[in-house]
Amino acid sequence: MSDRVLGGFCLALAAFFLWRTTKIETSFITDPLGPKAFPVIIAGVLGLAGLYVLARPDARPDWPGAGRLVEIALAVGVMVAYALLLPSLGFVAATALGAGYLCWRLGAGPLEAPLAGLVISLGIYAIFHLVLGLSLARGPWGF
Amino acid sequence: MDALASLAHGFAVALTLQNLGLAFVGCFLGTIIGALPGLGPSNGVAILIPLAFTLGLPATPAIILLTSVYYGAMYGGRISSILLNIPGDEPALMTTLDGHPMARKGQAGEALALSGIASFVGSLLATCGLVFLAPLLVRVALLFGPAEYFALFTLAFATLGGVASRNQAKSLIAAALGLGIALIGVDHQTGVPRFTFGNVHLYDGINFLVAIVGLFAISEVLLFLEHRGEGEHAPGKVALGRVTVPLAMLKRTWATMLRATGVGFLAGVLPGAGASLGSFIAYTLEKGLAGKGAGFGAGEPRGVAAPEAGNNAAAGGALVPMLALGVPGSGTTAVLLAMLLALNITPGPLLFQRNPDVVWGLIAALFIANVMLLLMNLPLVGLFVRVLRIPTRYLMPGVAMISFVGIYGISGSTFDLLEMIVFGVAGYLLRKLDVPLVPIILGILLGDQMEKNLRRALTISDGDWSILWGSWLAIAIWTLAIVGFLAPLVIGRFVRPKVKDTVAQ
Amino acid sequence: MNKLAAACAASLLTALCASAPAVAFEPAATECIAPANPGGGWDFTCRQVGKTLYDLKIVPSPVQVTNLSGGGGGVAYSEVVAKRDSDNDLIVAASSATSTRLAQGAYPGMTMGQVRWIGSIGADYGVIAVAKDSPIKTLKELLDKVKADPSSVAFAGGSAVGGWDHLKVLIAAKADGIDDIRKVKYVAFEGGGEAVTQLLGGHVQAFTGDLSEAKEFSDSGDIRILAVLAPKRLPGDFARFPTAKEQGLDVVGANWRGFYAPGKMSDDAYAFWVEAVKKVYASDEWKGIMKSSGLMPLDLDGAAFTAFVKDQIDKTTAISKEIGLIK
Repeated sequence: MSDRVLGGFCLALAAFFLWRTTKIETSFITDPLGPKAFPVIIAGVLGLAGLYVLARPDARPDWPGAGRLVEIALAVGVMVAYALLLPSLGFVAATALGAGYLCWRLGAGPLEAPLAGLVISLGIYAIFHLVLGLSLARGPWGF
Repeated sequence: MDALASLAHGFAVALTLQNLGLAFVGCFLGTIIGALPGLGPSNGVAILIPLAFTLGLPATPAIILLTSVYYGAMYGGRISSILLNIPGDEPALMTTLDGHPMARKGQAGEALALSGIASFVGSLLATCGLVFLAPLLVRVALLFGPAEYFALFTLAFATLGGVASRNQAKSLIAAALGLGIALIGVDHQTGVPRFTFGNVHLYDGINFLVAIVGLFAISEVLLFLEHRGEGEHAPGKVALGRVTVPLAMLKRTWATMLRATGVGFLAGVLPGAGASLGSFIAYTLEKGLAGKGAGFGAGEPRGVAAPEAGNNAAAGGALVPMLALGVPGSGTTAVLLAMLLALNITPGPLLFQRNPDVVWGLIAALFIANVMLLLMNLPLVGLFVRVLRIPTRYLMPGVAMISFVGIYGISGSTFDLLEMIVFGVAGYLLRKLDVPLVPIILGILLGDQMEKNLRRALTISDGDWSILWGSWLAIAIWTLAIVGFLAPLVIGRFVRPKVKDTVAQ
Repeated sequence: MNKLAAACAASLLTALCASAPAVAFEPAATECIAPANPGGGWDFTCRQVGKTLYDLKIVPSPVQVTNLSGGGGGVAYSEVVAKRDSDNDLIVAASSATSTRLAQGAYPGMTMGQVRWIGSIGADYGVIAVAKDSPIKTLKELLDKVKADPSSVAFAGGSAVGGWDHLKVLIAAKADGIDDIRKVKYVAFEGGGEAVTQLLGGHVQAFTGDLSEAKEFSDSGDIRILAVLAPKRLPGDFARFPTAKEQGLDVVGANWRGFYAPGKMSDDAYAFWVEAVKKVYASDEWKGIMKSSGLMPLDLDGAAFTAFVKDQIDKTTAISKEIGLIK
């Protein structure tokens, strides 16, 4: 079933790709092949491969239970929140929170997790900012 | 003989205490930069340029520092590929295919040591090639026009079946996805945006580093979350194994290293091909030569030696057009070139005459850095494998955060981070569905060049397709491509029983 | 030795600077945004000017260089307009690519009036060249050949279609009276270096790019520079290249480098930055950097620079409309 969904998705994506290709506006200057030829070929390949998978799917992969899926969704949510909050919270605080959460969910204790988060955050800050001199998000406290 | 005398002079320039110290620092930092997901050789060199400026280094020491970083990063990329299944940068992509399975089998130390030696062989021979063959190779590089490049990238694609997983249709899906991603952004030949949905962040296209880090690193973290607490997926339990290479393994792989070096070096010399193509063709070539049943993809040492020798040789090869023509053969050499310019040195056809000290000092430094890297990397293997002893609950969040900062530190863009998370989720789903990730990256890297070169060729010829086989070189590459495409099928049919026998013994 | 000399020059200038009239604005933690990844042109502009600013003691602490890439500079532009609009300590690296993209609407919803243009720190003039064994000797001859048969000459350049390298050829073609400039054959490569190798390999017939990309190949005799798109002959070693103007084609194409600042920056701060960039430009240190990186003189600041950018945008808009790149 999973593979059938994948095949169907590829077909839909190929169709979407074709539709967007027709929307590409060409200007007066265009090369002999044009900007649309490759997208059409790729959509074709994607569609055919999708059809094949749809027709002859592999055995079902073992998906995690609902609980674990929620776990993964939450982690993705935390990462998104991290990305969005990074500029306003500053690098060290945001990273300590993000890393702490992941440590906790991967099995660190309630005391170890925030500590590990802080250590990871400071370690990365030391390497990337102090040694390599990359500018990381500054945040309200300047780090 | 002339070259040898100049080289001796170069060593005289490079062998000062300060320069050796800088080379050491450069090798060390480079190895770390290469191993960190998201930071590759080109970014590594770029972010260390200010350091060279701050130290107020004159030209030769500055160049020694930065080329050491360059070679170091090429060495370092393999470490996270093997240990974590996360390519540290794009040339190390192919090393994940057999390197990580080796680590899973408890041969992490052997894989690291072997790849270290392969890297050494690759870059040592490539540096020799740089010394003796540069003028000749420049002529070869000039023969490559758009038509020849198109044939070359098609050759790479024709052998894509070589890396395929169990299900060919799925690797086709993966390649098509990569090709599709490569199309996003402003079209080079007409200037019109494609698939950008009016979003300014997408005008430059998708940065392949974002794709690599998302697909490999973030999805790995999600997989660990799924399997939390289950024994077999926790690397803390991985046996470290020995930290040196058995002699038998070296004997079995030396021919592979030599072939891969040749292929990688040539790919490096061509501006517009590069290290990724070098390691890719080196890998598929070895896999094709070995035939089916040789265990490629399941932890075959030759599958580790080939891409590492290939990409390090390409790194040396890329210096040929940079030094001899002033044309960068890769992203990293483009940065080095900018650095040279900033130091009041103009690379180009006259560089060897005008600044012999710099050029030969640099080449000598490459030899020194290479030896240093080997000496540094082999004893450190024991240290590197200890990374696997860090409990997952600390290692994986660290990897995730390094991935984020690696991307953010370079682009400063929140959008890139979100893009990376999307790739991470997609990578997780695709892995569950047994869709291989490597063809996606190859699709992004190679597909883009394939389209551009085809369209350039047709623009030049006013739409006449015969330009594609208009030179002997193009015809030769096409022949290779056809052989490369058909050979696995033919070999698979006739030679397979024999290969199986040898494996069985 | 060189370092010592530079240090002397710097301290001398500091003494001079100190006697200049005090400006009401005091810079604090200054920042320069490079709208690209480390290693590119904008990154170098930020880093080198930032370093010179600090060396000359114009700013109290080293200038923090921030890379903010994406959208060919569009991401940084909209970030500055939307979020940093009144930041007095911020400057952003810009070049002809910035004005070209503004003109072509490649920064959606953005116009040049939304930021304040500070000044330029030099320019790299455009060149048009052919291989050494080409029978063509002058720009006029080349363009006449294009006029007679547009498909006989393929120009290779380092920017995308509609980008600066392409526009230079079109402007020249127009000046020569070629009616349908859309027929001019242009092949886009990744960077000027790649385009030059295509010329050397004989895969294309002409090269369009910047002088800094072409000079070395001209010195070695591999290519022939037909014209430099500068208003008059360039100084020193560069004086041997003929300009397009003296060949009867009124074409000037300068790839300038400079800075803009947030739109609501205070007048005092704006005056400070205009003055600061001027001082950098006048310094010996900067002259050395210009020489080594092939930058040619172009010192415009404040109102003159703003007018210059506006003029460039207007011209680019007109020609982009003509080739149908924008409606």
